[in-house]
Amino acid sequence: MNKLLDILFVVLLFCVAGCDDNQANQANQAEKYDESTAKSPAVVDVIHLEGGDWGYPTPFAHYPRGPGGFKMALIFDSLLERDEKGLIPWLATAYSIEDKGLTYRFRIRPGVYWQDGTILTPEDVAFSLQYANRYGATWSYVHHALDTITVENDSVVVRLREPQAVMLDSIGRTRIIPKHIWEKVDNPKEFTTPDAIIGCGPYTLSAYSKEHGTYRFTAFDNYWGPKPRVKTIEFVPVSEPILAYENHELDMVGVPPDVLPRFQEIKSNRIIRNPAFWGYRLLFNMGRVKVLQDVRIRRATALGIDRQELVDKIARGAAIPGRLSILPPDHVMAAHDLADLPLDPVQARALLAEVGNVPAMELLCSGQEVRIAELLRQRLGEVGIDLSIKTVDGKSRDARVRGRDYQLAIIGHGGWGGDAGYLSTHLLGDVFDQNAAPSASGIDGFEAPELAALLSQQATEIDADKRRESLHQIQHLAIELVPEIPLFYTAGYTAYRPATYDGWMNMYDHHSMQHSKLSYLERSGAAAKR
Amino acid sequence: MQHIVKNLSEYLLTFLVILTLNFVLPRVMPGDPFLFLSSDIGEEIARFTPAQEAAYRQQYGLHRPWPQQYGIYLLRLLRGDLGYSIYYNQEVMAILLARLPWTLLLVLSAVFLSTIFGTLLGSLSAAFRDRAPDRIIYPLMITMSEIPPFLLGLVLLFVLAASMHLFPLSGAMTHFARHENIWSTLTDIAHHATLPVLTLTLVRTGAMYLLARNAMTTVLTRDYIRTARAKGLGPARILARHSLRNAMIPVITRVFLSLGGLVGSAILVENVFAYPGLGRLMRESVMVHDYPMIQGIFLMVTLFVLLANGLADLAYRRLDPRIAEKRGGRS
Repeated sequence: MNKLLDILFVVLLFCVAGCDDNQANQANQAEKYDESTAKSPAVVDVIHLEGGDWGYPTPFAHYPRGPGGFKMALIFDSLLERDEKGLIPWLATAYSIEDKGLTYRFRIRPGVYWQDGTILTPEDVAFSLQYANRYGATWSYVHHALDTITVENDSVVVRLREPQAVMLDSIGRTRIIPKHIWEKVDNPKEFTTPDAIIGCGPYTLSAYSKEHGTYRFTAFDNYWGPKPRVKTIEFVPVSEPILAYENHELDMVGVPPDVLPRFQEIKSNRIIRNPAFWGYRLLFNMGRVKVLQDVRIRRATALGIDRQELVDKIARGAAIPGRLSILPPDHVMAAHDLADLPLDPVQARALLAEVGNVPAMELLCSGQEVRIAELLRQRLGEVGIDLSIKTVDGKSRDARVRGRDYQLAIIGHGGWGGDAGYLSTHLLGDVFDQNAAPSASGIDGFEAPELAALLSQQATEIDADKRRESLHQIQHLAIELVPEIPLFYTAGYTAYRPATYDGWMNMYDHHSMQHSKLSYLERSGAAAKR
Repeated sequence: MQHIVKNLSEYLLTFLVILTLNFVLPRVMPGDPFLFLSSDIGEEIARFTPAQEAAYRQQYGLHRPWPQQYGIYLLRLLRGDLGYSIYYNQEVMAILLARLPWTLLLVLSAVFLSTIFGTLLGSLSAAFRDRAPDRIIYPLMITMSEIPPFLLGLVLLFVLAASMHLFPLSGAMTHFARHENIWSTLTDIAHHATLPVLTLTLVRTGAMYLLARNAMTTVLTRDYIRTARAKGLGPARILARHSLRNAMIPVITRVFLSLGGLVGSAILVENVFAYPGLGRLMRESVMVHDYPMIQGIFLMVTLFVLLANGLADLAYRRLDPRIAEKRGGRS
């Protein structure tokens, strides 16, 4: 009797909540207006975005997880910046790559001021690179990778220990810090005084509360670059972002697929599909399960998995089916003219019949991927591959993958939009780096000399066209050899009100518009749209 | 005097055992703080090179054997040093002291209100047992006590905040607001605390109500109550002056004993309302395996629970002198 009362009471409460929710929707409907007549202001006084404590925003003190680095980037500029298409000159007005990729020369922009009024010099840039090389920032791109850094007139010349194609991006993203403040600091992680947040970027930090998770950034009046279109950015913590957005406490929100229709009904909202740069992949441990070295088994597995079904049932439509060429379709280096393996259970069975007996295998996953694993077990069971599912917590799964303690495994991670050099990591190594991120988990026991040679070549190729050609061949071989199976790339949605602010843009390799510095600036001068 | 020393010894032993578990348990979880510092949020990857990791291990003393780390940990505790948070980049004590007041505000307010309302309603139910008021209140309280706090919190959030706009959706105060005086600040804080406190209060009132109802029912059957009725005293006077004090003994004991458990409920409620208390901090610290932070939080909760138990002991002896007369007796 008590349990029945409990259930009835909860149902009643939800009905009440639902009725009120409908009324709220009707109120929102009454507020809507035609998007075509809405005008976005050229300059906005304040924008509210979802907060949370992500650390004191210096290049060394922000938390590694989460968007702390993007807040830090509002204060600290870098030599290069990212727009929709690629890298653009920023604090460096020009750059050149010499000595077959061993030497990088950056001409430093004059007339740039630090937020304490002093002027930025090439010595500051050289110091910043030396400091990052020595200590390693939280998001570290150049730690121990640079050989020498020298100043020649208005330029900084960087010499590498060995050529790496990714280093232009890595050096370009390193944050420039004032030498006169940081030269006395030998414990950068614990340097959290007000001096630590003196940068040369478009915003200063005017308020920060660790326990409340709030940040306030105010436009820097003496910024060298394009004028900020937003005078103040306030990050405030919210319990339910959707409710906060509907209550106008937030100006941008990620929209789950379940509530997307509700947002689409309101014309004052603009809905944008985010680039699909987060995804899941299926790993084969060919070192431990020798039969997996037979490419027919891996191809049969790919033919037996319905990747569209995973998108429909797991991601509820908010995803893109994985491509055996690995790079997601939104990636700047993705090949779009290669034929992927389709869903073909008949061909899968035929391939497995050629192989003969395929032993049952264990599929390792975390609790978040168990539904994916169940679907894979079902579909692969239909073609003759028997799987048992082993579920552990996410970090245990990551540790086991890096310890080679699995047969098949599903891992999910971001970074799919980053420099295509991660293909080397995926396919060839860093399996044993126990503290690497899941995106760095490679596969074990995979022997493919041609692919390995191409991966090695692209890593040091600095000619963009030649590198693109190498990557195209790599993607083609990935489809042929199926070293791993990308299952799907999640593609979320973002909603905002253009009438409030319409300056949002995506960096070419990133999914979140509010993380892009150019979203807050006029698209003129160095930030002009290409 | 002997029993005081005995009690203190028992508490100290309990504290040491918990301290040891506090030290060991985070370290036996798979992974370590540096594994959990790796980031895959979006496209920015945080990786620590072996050299960086070795430097950080040395910095935080994690390169030493466990017994040595434990000894250093105990010595630091004697100096009041809870260590430095690997993830939050700040002294653990400073972080805890910033968050603790918010959790205390929720927990203590909920305890006070649920005790008052639970006792009043329980007394009313007992006085009208098996009659209309009891038949209405009893199932209502049973239902309320069964609802998980996070679920109730969500319902209150949707109805009272999102739909009716009576309360804020989240947070402990209006961010970046400039208040003219202290009263404006206090009003703002109270406004933000209403829904979390209401959630915790509603969840706890049922348990207090049942306890008070049962205790009052027992007391009302006593001979001295019959005598009071026979003397012609009114029901209100009988309840307030002759019954309540005796019925309150188990209630007050329960109040102190439940203080520690309330912190657990506060975790869920703080997450629902984005309230900046220890609960959210505890969850985040466990997720990222921040050993110093985990140890600091659980140490604080341990001290809280032990203190609450000690106060329950003292309160029980004070309310019932017969307990104090029994040498070495403990509830």
